[in-house]
Amino acid sequence: MDFLNALVALSNYVLIPGMAYGSQLALGALGVTMVYGILRFSNFAHGDTMAFGAMVTVLMTWWLQSLGVSLGPLPTALLALPVGIAVCIGMLLATDRAVYHFYREKKAKPVILVIVSMGVMFIMNGIVRFIIGPGDQRFLDGERFLVSARDFKTMTGLQEGLAIKTTQAITVVTAVIVVAALFWFLNRTRAGKSMRAYSDNEDLALLSGINPERVVMLTWIIVAALATIAGVLYGLDKTFKPFTYFQLLLPIFAAAIVGGLGSPLGAIAGGFVIAFSEVTITYAWKKVLGYLMPESLAPDSLMQLLSTDYKFAVSFTILLIVLLFRPTGLFKGKAV
Amino acid sequence: MSGDPYGDRGNKDATIVNPRGTGTAQPVKGGSAKAAPNGPFLIGETMTGGYGNGPDILHDCTISVEKGEIAVIVGPNGAGKSTAMKAIFGMLDLRAGHVRLDGEDITALSPQARVAKGMGFVPQTSNIFTSMTVEENLEMGAFIRTDDFSGTMEQIFDLFPILREKRRQPAGELSGGQRQQVAVGRALMTQPKLLMLDEPTAGVSPIVMDELFERIIDVARTGIPVLMVEQNARQALEIADKGYVMVQGANAYTGTGKELLADEDVRKSFLGG
Repeated sequence: MDFLNALVALSNYVLIPGMAYGSQLALGALGVTMVYGILRFSNFAHGDTMAFGAMVTVLMTWWLQSLGVSLGPLPTALLALPVGIAVCIGMLLATDRAVYHFYREKKAKPVILVIVSMGVMFIMNGIVRFIIGPGDQRFLDGERFLVSARDFKTMTGLQEGLAIKTTQAITVVTAVIVVAALFWFLNRTRAGKSMRAYSDNEDLALLSGINPERVVMLTWIIVAALATIAGVLYGLDKTFKPFTYFQLLLPIFAAAIVGGLGSPLGAIAGGFVIAFSEVTITYAWKKVLGYLMPESLAPDSLMQLLSTDYKFAVSFTILLIVLLFRPTGLFKGKAV
Repeated sequence: MSGDPYGDRGNKDATIVNPRGTGTAQPVKGGSAKAAPNGPFLIGETMTGGYGNGPDILHDCTISVEKGEIAVIVGPNGAGKSTAMKAIFGMLDLRAGHVRLDGEDITALSPQARVAKGMGFVPQTSNIFTSMTVEENLEMGAFIRTDDFSGTMEQIFDLFPILREKRRQPAGELSGGQRQQVAVGRALMTQPKLLMLDEPTAGVSPIVMDELFERIIDVARTGIPVLMVEQNARQALEIADKGYVMVQGANAYTGTGKELLADEDVRKSFLGG
């Protein structure tokens, strides 16, 4: 019984939140890795792209809520998501036309684009705060729990409760669908293969009649969709605050690099590695250990290795360790 | 380096930039083709140009091929042979001169548009998609085709049987000779009206080289004119209907393959006596 209680407590506080957070990081890291693989630079504006897409979705959700539209137990934000994606696509394509296109024409080296993306980051950051404000915004509605802790306790008779938030379930399900669709697109469709070809060898893609501008456009469209979905899922699960997205850039980059930049599979693996290490290291293990250890050995302290304030330090420590032993990341950074 | 505002300033950090697969081409921006009847099937006429803002590499260089012919460009290293091929394909901007194909002036066309016009080009290096399978490489070759290209793929597997065996393998794992076969196969997938090969036998063993030459002759026999640059000048001129010797970006000698092989100067300077 104690073992079961420990397992439930572990699932409740570590496994399930880690899965959800990992899915969000994986989706974010996929976007970063796509830009890296195809456009060949690290896109520092990705966090704020997520914020922008999520912001549009939040505004749209509020509007729908004011009209009395709802999806019943599901959050209304899911209905607003396509609009968020569409506007975000428009935003990225406009940014590309106005900014990145110029540097592509000049055959600027990718490191220039990295710096350019930082400029884009600050502007997008400003736009988002200007429109929606810097504070916390709530836009979650619908059923809060899929399984609530109390129901779980009465159902199983265990001491520990297991709660699964609707948003956590939605996050994982959406992430699975999105990743499957992305892999199908990249490996099975003509357009997806042309993107991989362009990533592999730009000149030869040109010789095969692949239009580079079209590949770039497709990339931005996919990145916008991934970023908006990741941003909205994160916002639903936690809360929408522009600055958190800016900070989210750090674990997302860590995830993409740990997995191997340019490798979509690596981005997913990296997302989960980073998420689980952050959650496990900042989790107070007192409860779980209390169940598992004999009473005399039960810990007095919280058994928390690091305070949650240091969670970014964890991602970067993992990043350093992985890079020391595998400089190309867990999955050899292949072409997208 | 420091003078170039868009350069990388020596940065090689692969965690923020991805140096692999970057394009070096400075493709011609898309314009439109003009009718230019008469003249040879393909001609790059008095081409002058170089990369970016750099000096001219080609000086009044003229290369032409007729239908059903094999034309070969030979010459010392750095003579601008590959550059001439790239110029014909629109991979760099010409400062002067014209490229005409099949009665049309295509000087202003982008490389993609030239592929659509029926030109196929196999560059000297990086001529396959290493991370993609053999089959995907061929599919990418047929990118501009909207019809069913499975028949063409079968023909290519018949021409290069080894590729059929390795169709599911990443092309990057193949041997040098097999890679060249993938490269030529990729270019043939569009069913081109003209095939351009830049040193197809570079870096392959002599036996494989003979076989590749055989295959190239096979391709030419089907009526596709072939324009190629070759290091193995003697062997290449033997199969050539037309030969060009380039020196320092300009035409030095022109003639049939046999004429050039017989020419005293050409033999002394370029064929080792």
